[in-house]
Amino acid sequence: MKARTASLLLMAPALLLLAAVFLYPLLLYGWLSFQASSVLTGLEPVPNGGANWGRLLDDARFWTDAFQTLRFAVCSVALELVGGLGLALLLHRPLRGRGTLRALTLLPWALPTTVMALGWRWILNDPHGPLNAAIRFLGGSSYGFLSTPATTWFFVVLADVWKTLPFVGLLLLAGLQTIPEDLEEALRLEGAGRLQILRRLTLPLLVPYLALAVLFRLAQALGVFDLIQVLSGGGPAGSTESLALYAYLNAMRFLDFGYAATVMLATFLLLLVLVGGSWWLWRRGDLQGRREGAA
Amino acid sequence: MRLLVLLWSLGPLLWQLRTSLLRPEALLAPLLEGNPWTLANYRLVLSGDPPFWRYLGNSTLVALATTVLTLLLAVPCAYGLQQQRGLLRWGVGLGLVAAAMVPTVLLFLALLEIARRFDLANDLFALSLPYAGLSLPLAVLLLRAAFGDLPAELEDAARLEGLGLGQRLRHVLLPLMGPALASTGILVFLASWNEYAIALTWISRNDLLTLPIAIARIGGGSVFTIPYGAFAAATVMGSLPLLLLVLLAQRPIVSGLTRGAVKG
Amino acid sequence: MSASGDAGLELRRLGREVGGRRLLDGLDLTVAPGECLALLGPSGCGKSTTLRLVAGLDPASTGQVLLDGGDLTPLSPGERQVAMVFQSYALYPHLSVEGNLELGLKVRGVAAAERQRRLGAVLELLQLAELRQRRPAQLSGGQRQRVALARALLRQPRIMLLDEPMSNLDAQLREELRPELRRLVCGREQPVIYVTHDQQEAVGMADRIALLDGGRMQQVGSPRELYADPANRFVAAFLGRPAINLLAVAPGRQLGLRPEHLHLAEEGPVEARLLRREWWGHQQLLWLDSPWGPVRVLCGPEQPLPAEPRLGWQRQHELWFDPLSGARLHGQGPV
Repeated sequence: MKARTASLLLMAPALLLLAAVFLYPLLLYGWLSFQASSVLTGLEPVPNGGANWGRLLDDARFWTDAFQTLRFAVCSVALELVGGLGLALLLHRPLRGRGTLRALTLLPWALPTTVMALGWRWILNDPHGPLNAAIRFLGGSSYGFLSTPATTWFFVVLADVWKTLPFVGLLLLAGLQTIPEDLEEALRLEGAGRLQILRRLTLPLLVPYLALAVLFRLAQALGVFDLIQVLSGGGPAGSTESLALYAYLNAMRFLDFGYAATVMLATFLLLLVLVGGSWWLWRRGDLQGRREGAA
Repeated sequence: MRLLVLLWSLGPLLWQLRTSLLRPEALLAPLLEGNPWTLANYRLVLSGDPPFWRYLGNSTLVALATTVLTLLLAVPCAYGLQQQRGLLRWGVGLGLVAAAMVPTVLLFLALLEIARRFDLANDLFALSLPYAGLSLPLAVLLLRAAFGDLPAELEDAARLEGLGLGQRLRHVLLPLMGPALASTGILVFLASWNEYAIALTWISRNDLLTLPIAIARIGGGSVFTIPYGAFAAATVMGSLPLLLLVLLAQRPIVSGLTRGAVKG
Repeated sequence: MSASGDAGLELRRLGREVGGRRLLDGLDLTVAPGECLALLGPSGCGKSTTLRLVAGLDPASTGQVLLDGGDLTPLSPGERQVAMVFQSYALYPHLSVEGNLELGLKVRGVAAAERQRRLGAVLELLQLAELRQRRPAQLSGGQRQRVALARALLRQPRIMLLDEPMSNLDAQLREELRPELRRLVCGREQPVIYVTHDQQEAVGMADRIALLDGGRMQQVGSPRELYADPANRFVAAFLGRPAINLLAVAPGRQLGLRPEHLHLAEEGPVEARLLRREWWGHQQLLWLDSPWGPVRVLCGPEQPLPAEPRLGWQRQHELWFDPLSGARLHGQGPV
């Protein structure tokens, strides 16, 4: 029909660009991961079968990075959820100056990651940064936060949570606003306390938004790059190196494009499994709950 | 409680501000007589080569170009998508959500290849192409929701009056989409400013760097050679444009995100 | 090219099917120029679907729409020169009354002077002159309806369609506006189709009524025809308030008698027992029980009621139906 083809034509340019930006990389990586393309081959792709993939499986650094990235993602997202929920609940109540409060809490999210990563570097600086100054003021001795793996990792998570918490908070706030007030009032009339209302009414109704937030943030967190490169450089001793950073290094520093593509494709697959799996699990739990509820 | 939240959100920013205004000596030895405050750090950063506000300009240019391009592509796509039914609509919708979740850094190698193939490196306008592509999923989803919010009979009435598609968009639909266009545009603008990995690989000329890259490069130097005061000044100035934008435009931003969340 | 016999709107075997569901099933209907036809029926009966097919907003699965002999079916809505007043009025919220009315003309390239002239005329006609600069949000329901009407009339359309234009107004306003609406819309040169679910409105507005149910036409004719000579039970039950009594007289035969055609007397063919009465001021509605089932009778407010009432009626008011199909049976003997 005329109308059908017209609307398809409208979508075409956008879909074309999307294909170039999203589909092409997947295809390229797939092909490239089966090539050797590095300084050794004069930067020209030479097919080498599954050699890259074999190397990947034995690559300790890759697996360590994978573990580190996963650990980072899970901790970061968990903290963001809790913090974001708190923020959302806080902003949900009618407070004076709520609009400005909301705007101000949004600021961390709006800033470029690298800009604030630099800021964090200074704050943690040993011995001149304000954090160490505060510690010294309290009588302790300054500490090299960025030279020990545990603390570096802690602050990387903290910096990430600081930046993305407002986003999660806003998302959950949107969800809170869809809950009709009458439901809350009905429960309150029955004598339910605030915590009970939270548990029995708010959280169950918020589940779709929580799920959305988790899935989105999980996916984003698995690709963490900007923050790590500027804040810790992947150190100390590669303890905060993420998969994305490793892939980047392979491509831009070691100039091993074939392997870099392999790493990135593997990261993609990891992402797919994790996010897809979580989504599937959630859908199944959700449907089951509905079936039980209806029964 | 509110105070805690504010402190948490603004603390690091305020500290940067403070640092940027301190004299170098004051940084190292907090207890100093005399006036520790100075604007010298700012002067230092602004007088660099190329001058710092050049980077701000570059970022703004790219962000504006990206926003315009994204909206130009997203509006017809969202409209067309809204007209679809059944499998195609659901399929494309799902694809867009999936694309929106992809961490953009993972795409850099392929995009670098495209830059090389078509000689697009070191061109700020060309950079807006991948940026637009990366922003499209979110933009299309948000705008589609907004189109869906418009009453259906409105377009019917316009069709009956003989308005063609272009006329309907121009006279009826788009004027009513103002707030949605604004909030989507702002979100795209913010995302474009924030982007790091692609710009890192596409731009190497010193005077064409976008802000995040410039800042990262400054930070790449050794801790002991770079005056941290100047550092902080750079950070503050890098943050200022976006801070202002958010403060001024917080309502459309929030409503845009909210609508996206609800419809998503 | 069309003979005078082709003048007016004709719907020929018009049908629409979506996703396996038949919204409209082979409708045949004609509307003469200047005639006002009401499409009446319960929700989901296909009346709005028909309207949209005539307007060209939805494509027809079967059949044709013909105007003065010419086939409109392949034309787009804009090309058909059809005007429609929507149930929600569909006024452009961001434009003033003037802007709303002008848009169609502006887009078609009509010169400013001509636009103003036509605008002035229609504003005058509908008494909207003072509201010219207001936005729809600042208008009352009745005012918005007038603007929607003005927009339709302004185009000098060849067909006029109205989709429940009064359903958003309160009952009192509806009654006041009905004669006004009829005067403005009907009796011009174009055929008019008026969709409503309210039978009183249909009876008051239209020259003829087409009653639809389940995508099929049940009967078309003047209000009087549908009332006195319904084609089937559905038509008989839909028209007339309070609704007709349907009595199970004998297997295979169902008797329909309207409450206003029944009376209570000392003697009569059927006995009845009074259950309840509703006093309406100018009338009374009596609820009775009879060997044939529950019966309602409409009578005067001061009607005396016999102790053991019996039902009576005139034979000419009897309507017989098949209990299963609802089809009208003719030539049934006395009870």
